Amino acid sequence: MSHQLGRVVSVILQRYFGENVQKVGDDLFTYGSKPIALLVKSTGLSRIKVVESLRTLLKYDLAMFEPTPNEVIADYRLIPENVLLMIRYPRYLLQIKTKYGSEAEILIEELLQKACSTATVLLVSIAVKYKDDKQASVAELKEGSEIPTLVPVATITPEIDVRAVIKIMNSGNLAESSDNVYWKVNYDRFHQDIRDEIMIKAITRRIDENAGELLRHMLQHMYLTSPAWAAESTLVPAVELREACLRAAADKPLLNQYFDQYLKVLEESGCGTVRADAGGRGYSVRGAGAARGCLLALLEGLVTERLGYKAARIFRIILDKKYIEEDDVQKNAMLPNKECKELSYKLLEEHFISLQPMRKTASAGGMNKAVYLFHINLHDVAHTVQDMCYKALGNVLRRASHERAAHARLLDKQRRVRSIVHGMRLRAEPQQNIDDVEETLTPSELAVLQGVEKRLKQLSAAELEIDKNLFILKWYFMYTH
Amino acid sequence: MAGRGRGRGGSGLSLTTEQIQALGVTRGDNAPPTLVPPPLFPKLEKKPLPLICDAATDYMLIVKDQFIEYLHESPAFVKVKTETDGVERYSDKYKMLALDAKQNKLLDCVWVNMPTELRPQAKRPRTVPRKRKLDDPEEIAKRLQTLEKKETLETDEAIDGKKKELNNENVDEEEELEDEHEQEYELDDGTDYANNYFDNGEDYEEEDDNLDDGPVY
Repeated sequence: MSHQLGRVVSVILQRYFGENVQKVGDDLFTYGSKPIALLVKSTGLSRIKVVESLRTLLKYDLAMFEPTPNEVIADYRLIPENVLLMIRYPRYLLQIKTKYGSEAEILIEELLQKACSTATVLLVSIAVKYKDDKQASVAELKEGSEIPTLVPVATITPEIDVRAVIKIMNSGNLAESSDNVYWKVNYDRFHQDIRDEIMIKAITRRIDENAGELLRHMLQHMYLTSPAWAAESTLVPAVELREACLRAAADKPLLNQYFDQYLKVLEESGCGTVRADAGGRGYSVRGAGAARGCLLALLEGLVTERLGYKAARIFRIILDKKYIEEDDVQKNAMLPNKECKELSYKLLEEHFISLQPMRKTASAGGMNKAVYLFHINLHDVAHTVQDMCYKALGNVLRRASHERAAHARLLDKQRRVRSIVHGMRLRAEPQQNIDDVEETLTPSELAVLQGVEKRLKQLSAAELEIDKNLFILKWYFMYTH
Repeated sequence: MAGRGRGRGGSGLSLTTEQIQALGVTRGDNAPPTLVPPPLFPKLEKKPLPLICDAATDYMLIVKDQFIEYLHESPAFVKVKTETDGVERYSDKYKMLALDAKQNKLLDCVWVNMPTELRPQAKRPRTVPRKRKLDDPEEIAKRLQTLEKKETLETDEAIDGKKKELNNENVDEEEELEDEHEQEYELDDGTDYANNYFDNGEDYEEEDDNLDDGPVY
């Protein structure tokens, strides 16, 4: 739990849920678990507001409660990881849309908004919302519910009665649903999908498209036998793999032709993603290796962006040789002496590399020459980078909220003009009136607004990028603890 | 190693010119000491790569905005009570309209999973406030009588000891009071000159020695 993490959590809560929830969240983060009475005292809010904030936090799974020794009062505790997950929601929706289609996406979106609900309530509310266009497809929605990314809170999958749903839809009374099973979004499954995509993309970029296909099949086989996040999966026999590829990838003749070669190439230059067993009978997918490879790529990219390509070269050399002296670095990097020293000290400053002193005691009485070796402690560096990401994310969100606050009046005006124009268009009013309304926004205001929108969009996109990095870091940490 | 002791006979806290050259710092490098604080946002030497701005990102941004809009409209967004300055404004009418629409919406949660104190509780009928004993004048009279009796009993029993103690306490209190009065009297002279003014003379803190080099950053 770092200071930066606390800051990010605070800013996220403010953006999504407002200041009261932010205050409560801050308090819980600093003090761990607290009962309501203490929260009321320390935040200074009224009890009603605290209760409302806690309801929100518990509903969206951002906090949990446990009984105090008193057994009547509950202690509340914040879950920071889940707060960070909120940034990732759009990514989940994009994922679902590309994989399973837009109906599935609607389903997941509704479920994300409601956080937790029964199936009937969900379907009915979707049907009501999209009454105009998608009436018939509601029935298809449920059959199309082979969506593995939903998980019922209990472990039984209920039968969804179509007729009951339609009855409720017509009567419009949600209280009639007798469903007792609540559904939630299964974030873990989403993370699995994202991880697979990252691996396949990485291999495709590194080797070839066919190799990517190969990896995809391998992953599919892997899911049949071993747990999803295992550091090393069970063996996938090569024969099965070949057959699967023959069947599925009929349009990739090259893959089938050079199947064995692809396997070998994947093993050798795939950065530890895949490993063959001794006899060559089967291959196992190494999740830990892939995570490490991705992390290294991330670090290199980071160093390049921050300190330049020369620093990245130095970084790679130190990574390669594990422990290396300063002069050797300069020899291998082929950079001018002064620059090499400067960059390596900068790398040291930013904690990308660390020093390891070694004392060569020549003899008692002689000057002891201490040799300093550069090396990279991947775990520490990963933590540093994670902190950097938290800081960056906090800054981005804070800056965005500052922009919004500074131009709040203008943004409000624009929103109102837009809604009025929209209403006018629906009623088919003459274009002249619409123009009049639009002109209430003067050109200078429009220019300012455009700048603000552009900046907000950039900051929003930056959030998503930072989140991608945080995903890789979290994936790496899964295997080192 | 032998060269280390050559320039200075002492313990070698600073480096010789040879060593400085070895480190790569040449003579003309020393910049004049700056007297300005470093800028808050220093110029980036390496600009970061541009953000990816393709259709997928656009879609994600739109989706995110929609989600946030939804949250803000829902009762999940807990509103801060804004303080008015008591001035009536034209926009109040519209703000009230908007507020009332959202005022009494209760957040839709699975109440079974939440602790009791968070669940929406029906308004309890106000219990009759307990009659405080001392409100009744009869009770007051009774109380006074019992207290009187107690007092007379006590004073009969332990007059001497208590009186002495009381006297001592009184004397102490009086002394304290006197002291306080005296102090107050001292502080408040009625003159315009501050009593704490102490003139050390002109040469008291003059040894400057140029210790003050300016702010260090």
